Amino acid sequence: MIEFRNVSKTYITGTEAVNNANFVIEKGEFAFLVGSSGSGKSTLIKLILKEEEPTSGNIIINGKDTTFLKKNRIPYLRRSMGVVFQDFRLLPDKTVYENVAFAMYIVKATPKHIRRQVPMVLSLVGLSAKAKMYPNELSGGEQQRVALARALVNNPSMLIADEPTGNLDPDTAWDIMMLLNEINMRGTTVIVATHAKDIVDRMKKRVIQIDKGNIVRDDKKGGYDSEV
Amino acid sequence: MKYNVISYLIGEGIRNVFKNKKSTISALTVMFLCMVIFGIFFILSENISNIMNTVEEAQGFSVFFNLGTSQERISDVGEQIKTLEGIKNIEFISGEESLNEYKEGLGERGSALNGMEENFLPDAYKVTLSDLSLNEQIQQKVTEIVGDDLEEIVSGDDEIAIIMNIGKGIRIFTLVLLMILILFAIVIISNTIKLSVHARRKEISIMKYVGATNSFIRWPFIVEGMIIGIVAALIAVLIVGLGYNAIIPGLSESNIVQKLEITFVSFNDMFNLLMIVYFVLGIGIGIIGSSISMKKYLEV
Ligand SMILES: Nc1ncnc2c1ncn2[C@@H]1O[C@H](COP(=O)(O)OP(=O)(O)OP(=O)(O)O)[C@@H](O)[C@H]1O
Ligand SMILES: [Mg+2]
Repeated sequence: MIEFRNVSKTYITGTEAVNNANFVIEKGEFAFLVGSSGSGKSTLIKLILKEEEPTSGNIIINGKDTTFLKKNRIPYLRRSMGVVFQDFRLLPDKTVYENVAFAMYIVKATPKHIRRQVPMVLSLVGLSAKAKMYPNELSGGEQQRVALARALVNNPSMLIADEPTGNLDPDTAWDIMMLLNEINMRGTTVIVATHAKDIVDRMKKRVIQIDKGNIVRDDKKGGYDSEV
Repeated sequence: MKYNVISYLIGEGIRNVFKNKKSTISALTVMFLCMVIFGIFFILSENISNIMNTVEEAQGFSVFFNLGTSQERISDVGEQIKTLEGIKNIEFISGEESLNEYKEGLGERGSALNGMEENFLPDAYKVTLSDLSLNEQIQQKVTEIVGDDLEEIVSGDDEIAIIMNIGKGIRIFTLVLLMILILFAIVIISNTIKLSVHARRKEISIMKYVGATNSFIRWPFIVEGMIIGIVAALIAVLIVGLGYNAIIPGLSESNIVQKLEITFVSFNDMFNLLMIVYFVLGIGIGIIGSSISMKKYLEV
């Protein structure tokens, strides 16, 4: 569960990226975050990840107020959420398998657990056959699947995606969104910041729209634009 | 589970070493040179203090008694001097012995002294010290003990002071040199690790998103610094050892060394200490150097 209470973020440059945001995303929900470029979507996500600190307000994640979370506790907060980005962020000198296993080493998983979990999550994203390949041998869609597998391998309670389909053609983008939907069906909370109007309109999920830092719309089963 | 994490972190550290070959090699070279320079001075100071020990062993002073002081009084004083702290040995030399020695020194012409009825040379104690720094203090106490029966104390005070100053100087110099080399090596290592961290900043940012703790992120780089330190230590001890064993035999046979009766410390006797110093240095510098360079990167 994610709750924003009167959250504002003003960068040191003076830019008001988020202005008094209030919303709750319940456990198991699927929510789109939409808005034009520079409206504040990525900032909102960075606030959830505690990559940025809010200027004012409180952010409650899984029942815990993260406002005064100690720096050395941040890694443990991040283990409860998987993240994917537009640019995949895979390690080029590691295989698909290693890229995913990497995330498990970091949380000090046992070798046995790693050997069991990695193939399972690779099969979930449909990449079992390409485990030994390197990122530069994969298509963009496949690379994003690897990133998804890495985000999911430690069983986070929520998955946060910042424009996960921004670099993909429409068909591949749709496949990735369907995969996100499937992940959501398995119980993971999913939050997706996106510009993909067609997909948002088709999926009929909750839409939070942000404009110049203000949350201007929050539809339970919305489309990309308010008229839909 | 522990084993797995540790082997992973060490594996990553080794990977770092090979990933940045250029900066690894330059750091290794500098570290190695620092260690060799230190090693040379370490060996020098070990040998000099060895030489000084043999010289020191003979250092002390002689206590001369007034002519006519009774033998009981002299042996009583001898017992008292023995109990003083810092005394290594005390030897009685009678006036007669001194005279004989003197005569021997004169050789042929010494026979001229044969006719002398009465011994004009006083009885004496030759005192050697185990601790040269107590020299003055002991001389004062001896003066008090002997009291009115003292003719004079003869000692090589100036030589003692010089020996002690040389020893102190070399020890201080080696220490200062060590400090400078340590600082230098830390700067070099931290620079290398900085490059390594920079080369892997993408990986570090991913690690952070996945929830890696700072200490987990830091370890491979500390391992990298340690590996450079250990390898430098191994090469340095090898080169210094081989070099020393190659030079010393020739040096021992040289005229000056023979004349001065200088003996060199065998490398094996210094090996353990040098090895320990090298490894503590290598590992310590590796850890400190990499910790310094990580500090900036791990903020936020
Ligand atoms: N680190 C930063 N320092 C200063 N200003 C920033 C920073 N990051 C973002 N901004 C500003 O904050 C505003 C919101 O940016 P943000 O990246 O959140 O937008 P966005 O909705 O994600 O845009 P896009 O759809 O293009 O990714 C913009 O005006 C941007 O210039
Ligand atoms: Mg953005």
